[in-house]
Parts: sequence; structure tokens; C-alpha cells
Amino acid sequence: MVVSNTSALGIIFPNSYDLLIPELVNVRLMASIPFASRYRLIDFILSSMTHSDIGNVSIMVNNNYHSLMDHLGSGREWDLVRKNGGLHIFPPFAEKASKPYTGRVDALYGILDFIRDQKEKYVVLTDTNIAVNFDFKAMIQAHVDSGADVTIAYNEQEIPKGFLKSGPKDKSFYYTFDVEDGKISKIYVNSKESGVQNLSMNIYVIDKELLIDLIDTASIHGHQYFERDVLLSNINRLNIQGYKYDGYIARITDMKSYFDENMKLLDDYNLDALFSGFPIYTKLHGGDPTRYLEGAKVQDIMAADGCVIEGNVENSILFRGVKIAKGATVKNCILMQGTVVESGASIEYLVTDKNVTISAGKEMKGTDSFPVYIGKFQTV
Amino acid sequence: MAKEMIAMLLAGGQGSRLYALTEKLAKPAVPFGGKYRIIDFPLSNCVNSGIDTVGILTQYQPLVLNEYIGNGQPWDLDRLYGGVHVLPPYQKASGSDWYKGTANAIYQNLSFIERYDPEYVIILSGDQICKQDYSDFLRFHKEKNAEFSVAVMEVPWEEAPRFGLMVADEDDRITEFQEKPKNPKSNLASMGIYIFNWDILKKYLEEDEADPNSENDFGNNIIPNLLKDNRRMYAYHFSGYWKDVGTISSLWEANMEVLDPDNSGIDLFDDDWKIYSRKRTMTGHKVSAGAVIENSMITDGCNIKGEVRHSILFEGVKVEKGAIIEDAVIMGCSVIKAGAVVKHCIIAENVTIGKNAVVGEMPSDGENNVATIGAGITIGDNAKIGPKAMINKNVEEGGEQW
Repeated sequence: MVVSNTSALGIIFPNSYDLLIPELVNVRLMASIPFASRYRLIDFILSSMTHSDIGNVSIMVNNNYHSLMDHLGSGREWDLVRKNGGLHIFPPFAEKASKPYTGRVDALYGILDFIRDQKEKYVVLTDTNIAVNFDFKAMIQAHVDSGADVTIAYNEQEIPKGFLKSGPKDKSFYYTFDVEDGKISKIYVNSKESGVQNLSMNIYVIDKELLIDLIDTASIHGHQYFERDVLLSNINRLNIQGYKYDGYIARITDMKSYFDENMKLLDDYNLDALFSGFPIYTKLHGGDPTRYLEGAKVQDIMAADGCVIEGNVENSILFRGVKIAKGATVKNCILMQGTVVESGASIEYLVTDKNVTISAGKEMKGTDSFPVYIGKFQTV
Repeated sequence: MAKEMIAMLLAGGQGSRLYALTEKLAKPAVPFGGKYRIIDFPLSNCVNSGIDTVGILTQYQPLVLNEYIGNGQPWDLDRLYGGVHVLPPYQKASGSDWYKGTANAIYQNLSFIERYDPEYVIILSGDQICKQDYSDFLRFHKEKNAEFSVAVMEVPWEEAPRFGLMVADEDDRITEFQEKPKNPKSNLASMGIYIFNWDILKKYLEEDEADPNSENDFGNNIIPNLLKDNRRMYAYHFSGYWKDVGTISSLWEANMEVLDPDNSGIDLFDDDWKIYSRKRTMTGHKVSAGAVIENSMITDGCNIKGEVRHSILFEGVKVEKGAIIEDAVIMGCSVIKAGAVVKHCIIAENVTIGKNAVVGEMPSDGENNVATIGAGITIGDNAKIGPKAMINKNVEEGGEQW
């Protein structure tokens, strides 16, 4: 096997920030949240890895991961069925003393032998709560060129509301940086600072041997959190570089941001920004084109294949196989796969999970600031 | 390990009557119904009927077809033993030959069939739109203890002279075969789908090959020879939707029928008999404010800002503001620019229709012309393409073609 000097191993944490969006992760995890009419959040990171020649990807699933396993299958759609590398899914190891991991250190310690055995020189660590068309190759090259021990991607933005209101119970840490000349000189945990910050995207490039070393040591000391316990406490010893990303980013930190980030894609400019880079792959389903029947009236929508539309739809995102009956009105909604809106029903600012039915004649309204969420398989 | 029945799919035809659409690809690879290609129908029928081994005989412009079939995974035909195999003509120690006829194409691949040692072989045609359960056809073949069966459709008597006709007795046993006769004795048209007992197929193909005067064709040679020898030949009646999409107008018509499943009989939306296809990944389609879509099918990746009525848009088609589309079939990734008027036509893949250009028109009484634009063509701004036009070269700005 040819190993180039920038080859990297990908490790994905699909459960990160689950607790910020409890409604949607009730039946799944962050990585498998449906997004942009036909994708799951993990598709963006995974496709970006494939396009950046990262062909050895491990997914550290922790809980609620059936939907993700179903989505990923063998990894064929992302070209991750490989003799060398490919897709690895690591569920919590069923051992007397083991339980689902609490932090990255735990998780990585559990697969340290596996990591040791891999041929790649670098490791890329990421979460899945962001939809980006990310060039990992460029970031790894920047890491190599700068001679850093660790490189962390960040973007400049205000701290999202979802982060600010998360309490200590959520164990949802987020990080902001002081960056001087490309070097990260300070790391803040859960800062409440207002205004534009250097906000971590939780994408890390690190030399594999160094990672093994750091995790080994941290584990011995009973540390759990990679950023807080490993990077922060070693900030003077390690050369930690920032990698500024200024491309399009959709960051999911709560229900509201989920709603907004979907809706933003109704603007062609945003859609192009997210999708005009590498193609984003997803699980392929059979299914026919969407049919518009007599009486359909639509404007400003994005819809996947397999829908049947006979009613009015405005400013909404429709996933696969959504049915809008005659005389129904849908405005400012996100309707996931298999949602049925029966005749005469009228809905506004709703997020319906998979296979929800809105019965004939029903009226239901959320607001822009509080979209109403309807759980999987519910009938209203 | 022997297979009960394997399929041989004839996909070598040029489809010359589709002109501009088949210049660069074989007829079975012609896109259909929004996200399919014609060959998806026989392939999906095979899988849905429990046939897991299919040989596809290709000859004319096979590149697109080969790439599309790939390892057969979209149809579940990537199998350890069996699966889908593309079979082009090949060089042998004794020389090499193109496929001389339908029978010769199978003859040259007898060794492929031999590897699976099947009891039955079904011969399929790669240019028909039809949902058919081949396992029911096989049940019939076995019940009749037949050596050869052919699927037939009842056609109106006045149209019968256009077809190859099977004359059968009340037990469906075939007594006579008439190829496009002036005075038909039957209205049972052959669909070109046959089940053979493997030993019979092999024997007759070998004998046919030895006959220097033969055209090596199933209809003209093999079937008459079977009849001559008084073989047990039966006609299996099929009554569902079936369309040979060999002409521009029949291809256009079949696409339009997809839009009306309740009346046309072709229901692509039936979960019990799915048609599979190889998909590309594109985002969901988008419809902007001011767009109008009526009675149409829109596929992933489309971006609609104009008016679309009673039309089928394949993946990634862009319709700019003010463009008007009616009764049209528009294949993958074509762009219809602002103000263009596109009616009653077929537009192949990656075509650009310039600003305010006009393509085709709604037919007046008694006419059914379908304007056709070949793949990759650019029609300049303000150009005018008449309803009978068949375009396979770029048309410059303001140009006219009739």
C-alpha cells in the first residue's frame, strides 16, 4: 500500500452535541439528522473526506446509532468499501467494565491499538453537527507546512444561541480561540463573549504518534475531554495552529438553527455555496421523480424525489416521498421523509419527523422563533 | 450449481429511427421517464421475477450502456455467482465476427450460458417499456410442457399486418407464424420475448449457424425451423402495458403516458413492481417564486423559475425565468434559458436552449410532430426550431431549422 506523506486517518464522533437538539436525536444521533431535503448531516463530512483522499474512516458511535448504521451500510455510496481502510464503525465495546464513552479521550483510548496499527501518518478528528464542503487535503497540507503538533479549524462568527443557552448538564463544550500569527495562544471553554469570535469547528489534524501519546497519558490520569484536559492543559508545550475556514458552514446547535439552516438553502446563493464544491454523496434510494398534479401551487421550495404534490406549498423543504393532498396548505415547513399532509390541512412553521400524518382539515401553526416539532410516526 | 433460468438481453440495436437520440448511445441506454433508461425495465423485471443472471448483448455504441450497467449493483445484479454481464462480440482463435443477427448474437455466447447450465433461457429485448413478471411466463411454459414459448399481445386487427403474428389453437399451441402478413390469420403479435428449453435453444442455434443461407434471426429463421419440426410451441398471453419505443413519436408518447398512470396503464409509482435505475447524487429540486408547475414530473437537481406544464424533466434541468415548457421531455442537465418556448418535443441531455428561442409547437389537427434536439447541442438565442426538426448540430443565434 502506498502511503503518501500527507495521508490521514479519519475519526468521526457522530454523537457530539446530541443533547442540544433532544427532539431530533430521540430516535437517532446528530450524524443521522436529515438535512437539506435528502441528506443526513454526516454526508457532508464523509463526502469531504472521500474527496480529500481520506479512505480510512472510523466512526465512534456511542448511542442511538441504528439509524446511522442503516444509512451508512457498507459505505459504498461514499466510495468507502476498500481493501485497505474503508469504513469502520466502532460501537461501545461490550465488556464488563466498559460503558458508552463520555469524552473523546475515552473513545480514542478504546481503539488505541487499532490506531497504532494504521499506516497513515496523520489523524483527522471531527464531529458531525456542521454541514460543510470541506477540503481536508488543504488543511492537512497547512498542518504539514506549519510544522504544527495540532491544527484546529475555526471560523469567525458569533457564538450561536444554542451554545450560549446550553447548561453544564448538556456536557456540550464549545471552544473559542485567541489566534496570533496562525498560532492558537488561548483556548476558551464555553465562553459567553458577544461579538464575532474564532469559533472552533472541532476539526483537528494531529500527528498519529503524538495523538497516541497524548491519549495514553490522559487516560492514565483519568481525563476525559480532549480539548479541555489535553489541549488546553498542554497549550504552552504544544504548537497548536489555527486553520481559518471562510467557506459556507451550516452549524446545528439547536432546533432553531436546524430550522434556519435548512431554510437558508432555499436561497440559490447559499445552496451553491454549500454544494458547488465536491459532490455530496448520500445513501441512494430507488424512487421516482416528484409529481406535480392538477391543483399544485408551489413557490420557493426544495423537494427531493418521490413526492406527490397536489396542494399549496410555499417556502418549505420537502424530503423524499412527502405527499401534499389537494387543498392542503404548507408554509415555512420542513417535512421529513414520508410526511403526509391530507386534504384541507393547513400548517405553518412545522418540522415534521419521518412518516408524520397531518389529518384532513387540521390547522397547526408554530412561529418563526418557535417552529413546532412533530415526532416520528405521529398523527395529528 | 445450475440455474433454473437465465436471461439473455438483446441490446445491440442502433435504434436508427430515434436518429439524433441514438447517435452516441445504443437504444436501450436512451433515458426515459425522468430518471430511468429503457434497459431498466427488462433488468428490473428480471430481478423482480427472481432471475439473477443476465447476459447483455451489446454491439452498437456500447460505452454509455457499459458504464451505466457497471457492476449491476443498482439492480441487485452484483452477485457472486451469476449477476449481470455485458457481452460484446469478441475475437476467437478462428477469427472474429460482429453479431450477424439476434440468433447469432446468442450463438456466439453459448459458452456463457453453458457455465450456468440452466434448464431454461429467456430471450429479452432491450428496447421495450413493459412491466412483466417473467416467472409467470415460466410457470406457463412449464405447465404446457413447452419447448419454446413466446409472449404475445392481442393487437387490433387493422394493425396486425405490422407485426410478427402467432397463429395458435385453443390450447395456445402455435400452429403457424406470419411475419408482417397482408392477410393476417391472427391478431396475436409477438413481443420478441421467448423462453426456450436450453437444450432446444442450443440445438437450433447450432443448426442455424451451420446454414449458410440463414439470416441468423429468431423471427425469420429459428421460429420457422421450430415450427417445421413440429416442436411444442406455445403462445403466452400478456395484457399489460407494452410499448416498443422505437420511434421518436412512440418514445415521446410513452413518456407522456407516464404522467397519466391512471389511464395509460404504465404505473412507475407501484411499490410492488419497482423499476430500478442508477442514480446520481444531486440535491432536491428547487422551485422559485413565480414558477408554475402543472401535471409534471420533476427530478433531483432541477431548478425551476419558469412555467412547466405536462412535461417530464430529468435530473438537473434548469428552467430560467419566463421560459415556457409544455408537453416536453427534457433529459438530464439541459438548460432552458429565459424566455425560451419549448413545446411538444424531446430534448436530449446537456442541451442548451438560448434566450427567447422557440423549439417545436403544439400540433394542429391530425399532426403529431415531435421536434428533437440531440445530446450536447446548443440552440442559439432567438433561434427557431420547427415542429418536424431533428437537430444534431448546433444552431446559431437567430437561426431557423424546420
